[in-house]
This record gives sequence, structure tokens and C-alpha cells, in this order.
Amino acid sequence: MSAALAPHLVARSVARVAACALWGLESAMVTVEADVANGLPSFTVVGMPDAAVSEARERVRAAIRNSGFEFPLRRVVVNLAPAERRKEGTGFDLAIALGVLRATGQLTRDAEALCLAELALDGTLRPVRGVMARVRRAMLGGVATVFVARENAAEAAALGAEAYGFGSLREVVEHAEGRARQAPSAAPAPAPRPSHPVDLLDIAGHETPKRALEIAAAGGHSLLLVGPPGTGKTLLARAIASLLPAFDPDDAIIASAVHSVAGLIDPERPLLGARPFRAPHHTASHLALVGGGSPPRPGEVSLAHGGALFLDELAEFSPAVLETLREPLEEGAVTISRAGNAATYPARFTLVAAMNPCPCGHAGDPAEQCTCLPDAVDRYHARLSGPLLDRIDLRVHVPRIAYEELREDGRERSSVVRERVVAARERMRARFAGTGRRCNAELTVAEVRRHCRLASEAETLAAEAVRGRRLSARGFHRVLRVARTVADLAAADDIRTTDLAFALLLRAQA
Amino acid sequence: MIAVGPPDARYPARLRALEHPPDPLWIDGDTAALAARAVAIVGTRRMTTYGERVARELAGACASEGVVVVSGLAQGIDSAAHRGALDGGGRTVAVLGEGIVLFLATVRGRRRPLVPRIRANGALVSQYAPSFCAQPWMFARRNATIAALAEAVVVVEAGEESGALITAEAARHLRRPLFAVPGPLGSAASVGTNALIASGAARALLGAQAVLAVLGVEGPAGVAPPTDPILEALSAGALDADALRRRVRMTEGELAQRLLRLTLAGLVTKTPDGRYCGVREADTPSR
Repeated sequence: MSAALAPHLVARSVARVAACALWGLESAMVTVEADVANGLPSFTVVGMPDAAVSEARERVRAAIRNSGFEFPLRRVVVNLAPAERRKEGTGFDLAIALGVLRATGQLTRDAEALCLAELALDGTLRPVRGVMARVRRAMLGGVATVFVARENAAEAAALGAEAYGFGSLREVVEHAEGRARQAPSAAPAPAPRPSHPVDLLDIAGHETPKRALEIAAAGGHSLLLVGPPGTGKTLLARAIASLLPAFDPDDAIIASAVHSVAGLIDPERPLLGARPFRAPHHTASHLALVGGGSPPRPGEVSLAHGGALFLDELAEFSPAVLETLREPLEEGAVTISRAGNAATYPARFTLVAAMNPCPCGHAGDPAEQCTCLPDAVDRYHARLSGPLLDRIDLRVHVPRIAYEELREDGRERSSVVRERVVAARERMRARFAGTGRRCNAELTVAEVRRHCRLASEAETLAAEAVRGRRLSARGFHRVLRVARTVADLAAADDIRTTDLAFALLLRAQA
Repeated sequence: MIAVGPPDARYPARLRALEHPPDPLWIDGDTAALAARAVAIVGTRRMTTYGERVARELAGACASEGVVVVSGLAQGIDSAAHRGALDGGGRTVAVLGEGIVLFLATVRGRRRPLVPRIRANGALVSQYAPSFCAQPWMFARRNATIAALAEAVVVVEAGEESGALITAEAARHLRRPLFAVPGPLGSAASVGTNALIASGAARALLGAQAVLAVLGVEGPAGVAPPTDPILEALSAGALDADALRRRVRMTEGELAQRLLRLTLAGLVTKTPDGRYCGVREADTPSR
């Protein structure tokens, strides 16, 4: 059958096209090598392809034929180099097709670009997930031109790459050969200023819970709100979105990249404008919360990276699911290991949780009698394990509001509080210069020692507290981090007695 | 564990006042505690923080004067009374509504750690065979036994249909002095006790001395109300930080420091729901 091919299509050297593999947010450039040789007609993809990559053969074969090209009836081998790690997903389709076309001479110039798209059987280009992380890798590796499906173009352009969005395989070929050049996509419009549905101004009373919210927003400390139903726990938790400072550009890219991998990005505005606020339902499985599956997808903790994770009705979550939160709360990242691969996603989030004080919800509620037996209340609280509670820095009661507190005056706007949060974050930024970390909750033990200096009377109080309350070393360090944030909010250099006292009183474990 | 019948010398003499004294009575612990001066302190399982504090303080005051505290080791007020007596360094007797062996095998939660302490400083007793499984009617008869074992009965908190009212009724029948602790109007846990006072069936209990006086024991001087404004504000029950601050009128920083000092001194603790609650250990007389 090879006689049917035109002379210029006869075997040439191996073709190479750039692609990128993704494991979680970890990525690596992949060279797609295509070789067309004499032999029985076959089409093989080697280099540890997973099922979706192997299936690319059928899509590529059909797309090439249906785009008006010819699929060689010869022995076609495609290698994904480096061949040692498993490649996942459908993002290699375009690179494989261009490699085959180049190797058979139907594409006369090398496509000098990162090629990321899935092919439809008729040659249409389809968008893929995780474009942002892969484009970022390519740009770090010096490849600044990207060929993607039209729907992914804004996402690639958002990072400053020269991104071309195409509708079909034929458009890509014509562009690469210079016959019908397309213009690169313009960088998408910046995300609009976030508008927040809940402002602190909307919430009456609750001074201590609001203060705790401010501390949590400034320092990234985890917060547990406990109170009877209908007292505004959910409203308070949602207000944290209005207190978080604006995203640093670098952080916005990483958070957006996680959303991109999860396929949760707005194609028109791919960069997140507001810090994420995620509120998974209490029936969430651990896969949904910390991520997983094959290939491993990011969970809610990673989607909340850089923002807040709100767990309403904390005690109703399955205890096993809650335990999986321990690693991300401690490490700021989740590693999902599977037999064939492992994926790491970032997960630095501010945990805001809410729960009722007892199964009926009315313990301590002046308006309603609690009908729970003492042991039932104990069992309810025991659903949260000690190690998890140890990682919750602030526990505050959200009481039913007395009538006299419902007046309007004296309430602060979120924007006013956010200014204090931003100022405190500025102080933290100096502390963290050069590290990837941002807020006091992420201080390492060595940094706690260096940055959490206690004023002299506070020192005595600290010694008393450690002795009297049997605080663990970790517990004490967590208190110091919170105290550091309280002091930062007051623009104090050393931690004063009141800062430390406040941090100790807010600590979750009694 | 021993089983004693009414003719036995170790049988608690006061039980013979019952129309049908338990025969036999199963005793696990110190039989002498059953012959000593005794007060029954009982109440609802669904107690409030106020009820818990009163039960604990009252039991502590009685126990430290050498009076045995008798109760039913149910959740709530009963457990608080036993704990108060043990913490006050005294003895206490738990009258179970089921077989002792079965109870020991099934008890969970806050009551479990109380069991070895009660056996070491008093006794567990039951009128039912050791592996007898609990039935609703058994508790009513147990309540009468509690009233008979004690020389006076105090109901700390009782709802409208609380089992503690059965104990009160038995106490009246046996002509044991009966006290009820007055509670806030509108509190479901005090409806029964307030009704006992209103009907004249029980005397309003205003302090531990009243009970001790009935027994002819010289009580300690009255417990002085706390002088610290924070402790005073917390004496009626747990408060959240904002309510506490409104009550004592302090700045946030001042309240934080003083509250923390009280916490470190063991006088205030944080409840699991994030409120603050007075402990008043310093006011509990101890030996």
C-alpha cells in the first residue's frame, strides 16, 4: 500500500512534538516522538501511556483521516519520552497527531510549540484540564508558544504565553505551515473585583466571634464556631471571604492551576479573582475532601488553597473523613499515592468549621431547652478526635443574640477589618521573605522561636500556662502563632500579655 | 459482693422502714457506709449547669462533714452528686436500678470512671440479682430504696415527670425530711422542684446547712458568694465571652487576662461549646 503514498510522504526522520505530563500539580515536559517505518500496518504508543493515552490511537487515526490527511498504512510507533513515568489523560492527542503528520511529511515544518488538546474523531480540538500548570512548566522550560483548543486559549494566555487557540487539526497544520496564520490570544481581562455576599456589617453582635474571624483571616489559623442553630454561625463563616486580602499574582496562578486541573475554571476568566471559599457538604467522602481517584483529582482542601475551607456541621462529618484533614492541616499539601503514581496538591487553607453544641442543638441556648442526656453530648463532642481538636486554634461560642445587641451602631464594615488584616499580612510578609509561606499559621518551629518574642510579663504568663494547662509543645507553639497574629493585628513588635492571654483563651481545647 | 437479708446485722437498718424491704440487698463495697449518717441527693438526668453545680457543691459539703451521699448513679444530677461527694473526700452509696454485674459490664461515658471510686469510698448496692437486666418499673422501686436509705432527701432539679419525684413521694411516705432546690422560672429542669416547694411538700433548700441541721450535724460556715466579679457572673451558669464582658464591663484585654488567670488557677474552665464556666473548687470545703 505504501506505493499509494506520494513520494514526499515516504519515510523521513523521527518527528518530535512538545507536550507536557501532569501528576497533580507536578508537571514534566514530554517529547512525543513519532516514527513511521515499513512493516505491517500498526499504530503503537509506548512510554507508559495510561488507558486514556492508549485510546488516543483511535482518536488520532480518525481525526487525521477526517481532516483530509492520510493515515499511513505502515508501522507507526509513538514514544512519550521520558518513558519512565506513567502519562495520563487526553492532552497528548494533538501532539501525537502532529507527530504522525510530521513523520509522514504531511506537515512540512516542525510545530515549535507546546501542543495540548484532545481530538474529536472529526478533527475538532477539545479542551483539556490542567492547561495552566502545564503551560507554566513549559514557560519555565523556555517554550513560550502554546497550541491549545480554542476554549483553553484564555487559560494559556493568562500566564503570558503566546497562546494560539484552534478549532480543528487542519487549522493547526495550516498555522504551523504558515499558510493561514492565526493571531495569538489576548490575555484575558483581569478578574473583576470580588463582591462578597456577606459583609460583617450584616451581622449583629458577636464581637468575640468576629474578632476570632479576623485573627483567622489574618494568620490563617483554624477556627471552630459552636452555637445553637440559627445564631449566625454560617453567616459568620461566610463573612471570612470578605476579610481575606487580595491574592498575590503568584498565589492566584497556583490556586487557578488547581482549579484548572479539576476542570472548574471559567474559560473566559481563568485566573481566580477572589480567594476561594469552599463549603463541602457534611456527607462528603474523603475522596471529595482531600482528593483522589485515578488519575488523582484535587479535593476540596486543595481547591480551597489560598482561601478558606468551611465545614458546616463539623460533627456530622464521618470521623474517618475528618481524620484525613490532619495531614493537610499540618503539611499544607496533600499527597495522594496510588499503585502506579502519586500526585501532590497544595492545600494551605484557613479552616472554618461550625457545629451545634449538642445533638439537639440547644445546650446553653437561653431560648430553648436542651433535651440531650449528658453522655449523648459527650459522645457528640467525642466525634472530633483529640488530634484534630489539637489542630484547631480558635474555638468560640456563637450565642443567641440578645435583643439589645440588634442595634445597628458600632458595627464594623468588612472593608475596615480587611485593612487591619492586610496590614498584619504586610508584617508577616517581611517575616516570610524568600519562603513560599504567607501567614503566621505556617511559621516553622524555628521561626516561632525567632519571631514570637514575648514581652517580659507575657513570659511569666506563658510559663504558668504551660505548667498549669499541660499544653503540649505543639499546642504551645500553636498558641504562640495565634498570639503573634493578635500582636500583628495591633502592630506590636513583641507579643504582649493581653495578646497571649487572648490566644490562650481562644484555644480550642479546654 | 455480698447479699444480705433483713435479719443480717449488716443490713441497713433504715431500709426496714419500707413496706417491702429489699430481700436480699446486694452490696459491692463498704457495708459500714450503709449504716452511717446519710443524705440522698437526686435529680433529673437532663440537668443544667446550675443543677450540676448545686448538686456537686451540696454533695461536697455533706461528704466533708462525714455524711454519706446516697444517689442512683444515673446520668446528670445523680452522677454530679456522687462526684461531688468523692471530690469532697467523703463516702457515697450508689443504689442501682439493675443488677450490679450487668451494670458494671454496660456502663459507659462519664459514669464509668466513677464506679471504681465509689467502690473504694462507699458502695454500689442493688435490690436486683447481679445479672438482672433493667426494666422501667425497676427504677421506681429503686427510687424508694434511695429515700429509705437516707435520713433526708434533696431533689436538686426535676422536670415535670422526672423519676426524682418518685423519690420525693417515697420520702414523704417514709416521713423523711424532703428538700427541693428552687430553680429559675421557665427552666424545664426546675418545674418539678419548684412545684414541690409551692405545694408545701418540700422545703426550699437554701444551703447545705439546712440539710446538715436536720441530721444534727454542725455544718461549715455558709459559703461566701464569690468576690471576683467574673466568678460572680459565672455562678448562674456558663457564659460566652461577649455576655461575660457585658456583665463585668471590662475591656477585652483586661477580661482576657483576668479570665486566663482564673482558668490557670482552676476556677474557670472552657466548655466544649466554647463558653466559660465557673468551677468554684476553692469554695468547696475539703478536708
